[in-house]
Amino acid sequence: MARYGAAKCELGESSTEGRGFPGVYVRIACGLLVVGQVLGTSFEAVAADDGAGVSPSHGPEFIQRYCVGCHEAPKPKAKLDLAPYAASKARIIEDALKWDEHLVRVRDGEMPPDDDDVLQPSPEERQAFVSWVEKTLKEAAAADGITPGPPLIRRLNRSEYSASVRHLLDVHFDAGAALPDDGAGGEGFDNAAETLFISPIHAEKYLDAARMAVDYAFADTRSNRRFLIAQPGENRSPREAAAIILRSFLTRAFRRPATADEREEYLALFDRAYASEASFASAMKLVLTSVLVSPKFLFIVEADNPSETPMLLPDHELATRLSYFLWGSAPDDELLAAAEARLLHEPDVLHAQVLRMLGKKHARQVRNFAQNFVEQWLGTRALGREFKPDASIEGYDSELEGGMKYEPVFFLHEILTENRSLLDLVEADYTYANRRLARHYGIRGQGRFREQPRRVEIQDQSRRGGLLGMAAVLAVSSHPQRTSPVLRGKWILDTLLGEPPPPPPPNVPELEEVADDASPQSLRQRLEKHREDPTCASCHDRMDPLGFSLENYDVLGRWREKEDGGQPIDARATLPDGTEFSGPAELKALLLARKDQVARNFAKKMLGYALSRGLSYEDYVTVDRLVEALKKDDYRSQGLILGIVNSVPFRYKAGTDLKIGVPLDTAH
Amino acid sequence: MSKKRFLPLSRRTFLRGSGAALALPWLEAMTPALAKAESVQGPRRLGVLFMPNGVREDAWTPSGEGDDFELSKTLRPLDGLKDRLLIPTNLWNQASDYGDGHYVKTSGFLTCQTIQKSLGFDLNSNGVSMDQLAAKRLANRTPLPSLELATSPVGIGVDTNVGYTRVYGSHIAWSSPTRPLAREINPRLVFERLFRVANPNAESAQHDRLLLGRVLGDARQLKRRVGRDDQSRIDDYLESVRALERQVESASQPAGKTWKPAVDMDPATKPAGIPGTHAEHVRLMLDMIALAFQTDSTRICTFMFGNAVSNTNFSFLDGVNSGHHSVSHHENKAEKLAEYQKIAQWHVAQYAYLLHKLKAMPEGESNVLDNSMILFGSGLRDGNKHSPRNLPLVVAGSAGGRPKTGQHLVFEEKTPLSNLYCAMLQALGTPVERFADSTGLLPGALV
Repeated sequence: MARYGAAKCELGESSTEGRGFPGVYVRIACGLLVVGQVLGTSFEAVAADDGAGVSPSHGPEFIQRYCVGCHEAPKPKAKLDLAPYAASKARIIEDALKWDEHLVRVRDGEMPPDDDDVLQPSPEERQAFVSWVEKTLKEAAAADGITPGPPLIRRLNRSEYSASVRHLLDVHFDAGAALPDDGAGGEGFDNAAETLFISPIHAEKYLDAARMAVDYAFADTRSNRRFLIAQPGENRSPREAAAIILRSFLTRAFRRPATADEREEYLALFDRAYASEASFASAMKLVLTSVLVSPKFLFIVEADNPSETPMLLPDHELATRLSYFLWGSAPDDELLAAAEARLLHEPDVLHAQVLRMLGKKHARQVRNFAQNFVEQWLGTRALGREFKPDASIEGYDSELEGGMKYEPVFFLHEILTENRSLLDLVEADYTYANRRLARHYGIRGQGRFREQPRRVEIQDQSRRGGLLGMAAVLAVSSHPQRTSPVLRGKWILDTLLGEPPPPPPPNVPELEEVADDASPQSLRQRLEKHREDPTCASCHDRMDPLGFSLENYDVLGRWREKEDGGQPIDARATLPDGTEFSGPAELKALLLARKDQVARNFAKKMLGYALSRGLSYEDYVTVDRLVEALKKDDYRSQGLILGIVNSVPFRYKAGTDLKIGVPLDTAH
Repeated sequence: MSKKRFLPLSRRTFLRGSGAALALPWLEAMTPALAKAESVQGPRRLGVLFMPNGVREDAWTPSGEGDDFELSKTLRPLDGLKDRLLIPTNLWNQASDYGDGHYVKTSGFLTCQTIQKSLGFDLNSNGVSMDQLAAKRLANRTPLPSLELATSPVGIGVDTNVGYTRVYGSHIAWSSPTRPLAREINPRLVFERLFRVANPNAESAQHDRLLLGRVLGDARQLKRRVGRDDQSRIDDYLESVRALERQVESASQPAGKTWKPAVDMDPATKPAGIPGTHAEHVRLMLDMIALAFQTDSTRICTFMFGNAVSNTNFSFLDGVNSGHHSVSHHENKAEKLAEYQKIAQWHVAQYAYLLHKLKAMPEGESNVLDNSMILFGSGLRDGNKHSPRNLPLVVAGSAGGRPKTGQHLVFEEKTPLSNLYCAMLQALGTPVERFADSTGLLPGALV
């Protein structure tokens, strides 16, 4: 505690001295507390205006008065000990992102809980505290500049591998089909560097896959033209032909120009293969297979940055980040050319490249991006995998599964490519359905639909429109046999709002939702009974009402007016603050009232995906800036994409001192 | 979210280093005597079948002790195999008595260590799993050091509810604290892999060597381009390529093998892919374990019936209408408990299927089962309580002689699970002095 005391002292002085602060908090966050180095960013500007007449010590005082009574060691409620924060502003800053979550509960009036024996702050005090914490956190981060992550080192995940091989050989062949599947990390995506492990089985699988892909490509004359760009002939030796092919192929495979040494090494391999069997085709196959098993192809590797400070990514590294972000695949020739010309950091060029990449010509690649992102964000990848409806649920077949699965993919694809508002995620007058899904939804004019999804305008937005009316979302947030207001409520809090409820306390059985007679009334009653217990209520009061308003959707998202037992559906609900509402339309209105939180959560997810890592405290400022920009631009999707691509964490890599940031004024 | 992601070098290096330190410093040299013994008796093997979600407590433990015991209802499918079983009661995995209800219990099942709470960054099991300790020491005897199988892909996303990546819930085999081993879930691919290592192609071996030489060269170049603390990622790939190289080498020198299996694989028996039902899927995966052992493609195999928190729908069983995890939260309701018991019993029946199959595979003067040790178990006992005390465990087979089977051993409460693992490693001929929190060999387990 003593060292934090020291830090707090420095913090307290910082409004007059103004320079000790930024370096200090980062060191604490690293657990390194090395006193000495100070960054050049000024603190005066942010410290001068304290806002709302709140004294700098107001936050700790609030915590001491209203929180610590319950949340104090040795047995803090919810295992959350807040006492250290009451003693130190530095600790609040250190745990900024945790405070981000606590703050939501204070702001929403959930904490302190509304009990007779719990002291309640006045609304003004509450608001002042929230503003103080928010301001403190932002100041702390901004004062330090924005710190980018270290150079990226990761292997391609399975989907990226398939797409990259397809691009390289121009074959319609899923080369990654036999690779082990990847787990997810960070913000919940399987492109996260931290969870892309290598097992002994991988090299074996890569070799198999490469051999099959190359064989396939050699047998395909159309594909041949893409990479077999030279043949030996009267005026050209086999070696010369191999050299021409390799010059292009290596650059495209390695996503940067191959060095002369590298070309020689692969030519030497060609020579040895050709010497053992004088066949140009078989020697060439061996060489190209080898390229596809090389870690220079399989890994995205950004070179070490030996300087102390962050540096801009070299152009080819930026091109690679861009293409795996927006396409889930390797850069194309045009992007490589822009990188080769060293123009990619030019704002106009970068802007134009992003719009080009999101354009119609690349619809397939962008859909790939939309699918990778949305299925993992929403959890709809579970459809047909972890989530299979019970046999007792009628009407499920593979065409419906396909329609359900692709609806959010095509929907996000349109949002991204047509630059629509991200709030369409909550409420929209269009969606995508195939023949089977259109029937499922009861859409008129079904003759228009085929097996492929097509766009459809929504007439009655009280039932469809936005993610919450999508069958895939409603299914993966149900049990296989029945709907679950709890799971659906949790899904909304976690996935849409980024406020996952904490797990149930240990040894408390999971809520039993099935009543003996399975009638909706008794389910509602049971849930209400459950909420009489304050331990359960703190979360279920938030989750259950949200889910209840969606009860008109069955397990597969079909609209229903009555339960299976014949009772009419009751979709009324009351939020913890007393707000009453009913049905999906009013739920969507409530969510739109919190649109900045929806946008912020989406921005967080998208940034995590783009950076292929979990977000850290340093990224907090970037997320904030993205949300600010979104607000000013009607929440348009391409504004977010461009904001991410232009951000410090996307365009820079850290040096040896991971604590040094890029000052805000140089970061656009 | 709150964790500082970009740790200073020293800490990252330390994490990687701790993995390396745990990796065995020696590779046991094959003594001629041991090789001779193996060539007569057949090799010793280890299989682990992991079941998620625990069991119905009151229907698991056998009655009676020592060699005079009666199988419980759940264990009844093992009836004809009683003399091949060693059932320990009252073992616990103290290291997994923390954290959440499932992930800690799954990733820590074979390591007996507490995993680092993580959404990905800093993911660390803090140990090497016992199967991998054995695999490292037996690696040079078979084409594949070990085989990792499962039925479900790695869980999607991260569990923000409890703050763990689902990677944890999807892995029991850890070759280092930071490296969970990828599992194969498609039986056709397992078959093709086994077939390839059993039928090496000398012609392609020469090409493979050339190709892998280039790949290793590239990996070494790449290693020089990256920062020090990221070199381990390239090292992981180097190791993976070297393992493949060893496969290629051993294929071209079949004389070096210590055990010549008496069987050939029949390509006609290749599975078509992942079948439509869970039951068929599990059967095929168990068939692959038997095949891998019989052909001596590997001696170590782990299999996960399901990932942590698996909610596989077991309504294909009479009297069961729900998913596995839902039922495991039975709230002591009679009908739920009945379903829960049936699901566990079904798992035991699959285990019995494998044991019978191995027993029917003659090997030397014995059979594959008697040359193997197959552990069945879950990382928690009762799904309502999520407690890693008195874990449901069965060991079958005597791995060439050491395990004393035909017993139900009742220990003092809170006897370390790791003591069982020490005994098993001893029986395999890969002894360790200590394993995690072990306090010795499990008494009475070995002859």
